[in-house]
Amino acid sequence: MVVLAMRSVRQRPGRFLATLLSAFLGAAIVMTFHSMHDTAGQPGVDPVSSETLTTAAGVVGGYGTLLVFFAVASTLTVNVRQRAAELELLRCSGATPAQLRRMVVGEAAVVALVGAALAVLPAVLGGRLLLEVFRDSGQVARSVDHSFGVVALVSGIGITLLTAAGAAFLALRRAARGHRRRGGARAFLTYAALVAGAVAVCSTFAFSATDSALMAPPAYGSILLSVGLALMAPRLLQAVLDRLSPGGASGWLAVRNLRQRFGQLAGILMSLILFTAVSTATLTMQAVESEAVAASGLVKSVDAKNLETLNFTVVGIVVVFVCVMLVNSLYAATSYRGREFGQQRLAGATPGQVLGVVGAEGLVLTVTGLLFGTPAALAGIVPFTVVRGDAVLSEQLVGVWAAVASIGAAATLGTSLATARRVLRTPVVRAVAPAA
Amino acid sequence: MVRSGARGDHDTGPAPEALRLVKVTKTYGTGDGAVTALDGGTLGLARGTFTAVMGPSGSGKSTLLQCAAGLDRPDSGIVRVDGRELTGGSEAELTRFRRGRIGFVFQQYNLLETLTVAQNTVLPLKLAGRRVDRGRTREILTAVGLGDRLGHRPEQLSGGQRQRVAIARALVTEPRVIFADEPTGALDTRSAREVLTLLRQAVRVHGRTVVMVTHDPVAASYADSVLFLADGRLAGRLQAPTADAVAERLAHLGDDVTAGV
Repeated sequence: MVVLAMRSVRQRPGRFLATLLSAFLGAAIVMTFHSMHDTAGQPGVDPVSSETLTTAAGVVGGYGTLLVFFAVASTLTVNVRQRAAELELLRCSGATPAQLRRMVVGEAAVVALVGAALAVLPAVLGGRLLLEVFRDSGQVARSVDHSFGVVALVSGIGITLLTAAGAAFLALRRAARGHRRRGGARAFLTYAALVAGAVAVCSTFAFSATDSALMAPPAYGSILLSVGLALMAPRLLQAVLDRLSPGGASGWLAVRNLRQRFGQLAGILMSLILFTAVSTATLTMQAVESEAVAASGLVKSVDAKNLETLNFTVVGIVVVFVCVMLVNSLYAATSYRGREFGQQRLAGATPGQVLGVVGAEGLVLTVTGLLFGTPAALAGIVPFTVVRGDAVLSEQLVGVWAAVASIGAAATLGTSLATARRVLRTPVVRAVAPAA
Repeated sequence: MVRSGARGDHDTGPAPEALRLVKVTKTYGTGDGAVTALDGGTLGLARGTFTAVMGPSGSGKSTLLQCAAGLDRPDSGIVRVDGRELTGGSEAELTRFRRGRIGFVFQQYNLLETLTVAQNTVLPLKLAGRRVDRGRTREILTAVGLGDRLGHRPEQLSGGQRQRVAIARALVTEPRVIFADEPTGALDTRSAREVLTLLRQAVRVHGRTVVMVTHDPVAASYADSVLFLADGRLAGRLQAPTADAVAERLAHLGDDVTAGV
């Protein structure tokens, strides 16, 4: 079965591109930040530098791992679903569930290994750049040299491999169980994420305004809350859809599609909610922080400016990563719908109407993503602003939120419409022909 | 042949000739790899007839159906459906042309998995922006034996039931011509018989014109006449076919072609 896995990866590399991309990006981020552990562990590094480096590695490495897991899981879920027919064929040819599991998990592991291997060089360069930023900000001594060693390599490859294998296992299990609800585990995860998020957010009040770690609890809390809401989102989306009844044929079809496919859209919705929450929360908090520093009367020191740049760099990496994941999973999900689009066209839909359906679906997804992502972001922002700036809401919030919302909407609608347009170029007859 | 000229709308009444093809050719690929799938096909089918198109694999029957149904553009020649010429244009124009004039039934059913039986049936009306008459939908679905399955999804139905939904969907827009591409190809003999009977009823009772591509002589025997195709050319016609006569003719189709008949 492992041989079969290798062969199936080699024969159809295109299929695994989405998974490879998420594994590559994830491994690059994890290794970049974990190489700070290696750097700190070198002999002759002073305690202050060492602490800065370890904190950065711990914080970003921590939620980086979480993001990698969701990214790989969402692409693998799409991948396993798209191969339902192939897996069914193997089942009919006498493959036991355990053999199928070995094959799919094996494939995911192979792809993750390749992705991690490809990520080593970018991570080395990224790590150097990151250390450069730390040194420029004065948080790390000039004398410290970058080192890319065992910790970065082992954790990068290990985390990518484990999350990919675990995600493949879960995706397969979900596919095998079909429509039956995995009530218990999901509900537990949902509540666990929500409770942990709430605790993290509340613990913000235990810090003082000038604590350097003040931003960590609300940021973590926002992410955990958004994970919890993302896990609940499919059900809430269904509740929203039951109240929607648009007039046009495209809208009519879009609502019915979403209502049936809400389980499959969970991955995309999750990326969208995470994107909204993470970027709105972190960017607003950083803006509030900068404002507070400015308001404290001090002339903005070079150090503060550099710290700001560093924060924006870290946040930027994470936001870009989540955005790429969103585009990635939307592309994978849409490019697979050629046959469905062909069937709509045969039933009398013009290409414009098919695009209308895709657009309407994208719109509902965007609005739902913003609807659930925004409260998660606010839950983190409000305690931070109260402690740091003695205000409940920051004026920065509106601008940041508007920017995040437009990027999210543009990514969702742009990707699905552009992909659908490309898919529609296939002639109808070939689009509905049984897969060769 | 009567040329009906440019009719404003199909509602002005059906043309006496439902389908006319004049010297239609279609070639796939270019250069040495080019394959001529259809080589100057000319035929006319009267309104209210049931015609089967037969021929060996690669004889061009599917290409003929796709060109006639406006799913593919012929390289040259004229296609006229219900007296209106099908002119090349954008896909949107072709789609608008097909609406109300052409219905489809495929081997693979091509029902949308996300819609119920009733929703699948009325989809062409919704897309065309036409009024949906629930009573009439129920009537049509009852006529094909699915009156009690309106809320089911395609995955909950058997192959025969799915194909009957596809027939109901093809009937609901009241098209002039229904094209069926191997409609019984994936069905057991009993379901196949039901589907063929429904197609014949569409002709006898509703006055539709049905063109069916098939490789099964038994299926072809349900039609009023059979057109034989070989190497992209028409190779004969059989009126009031029986399964045995069709099989016999099919077995010797290759002989005729090599003899240059």
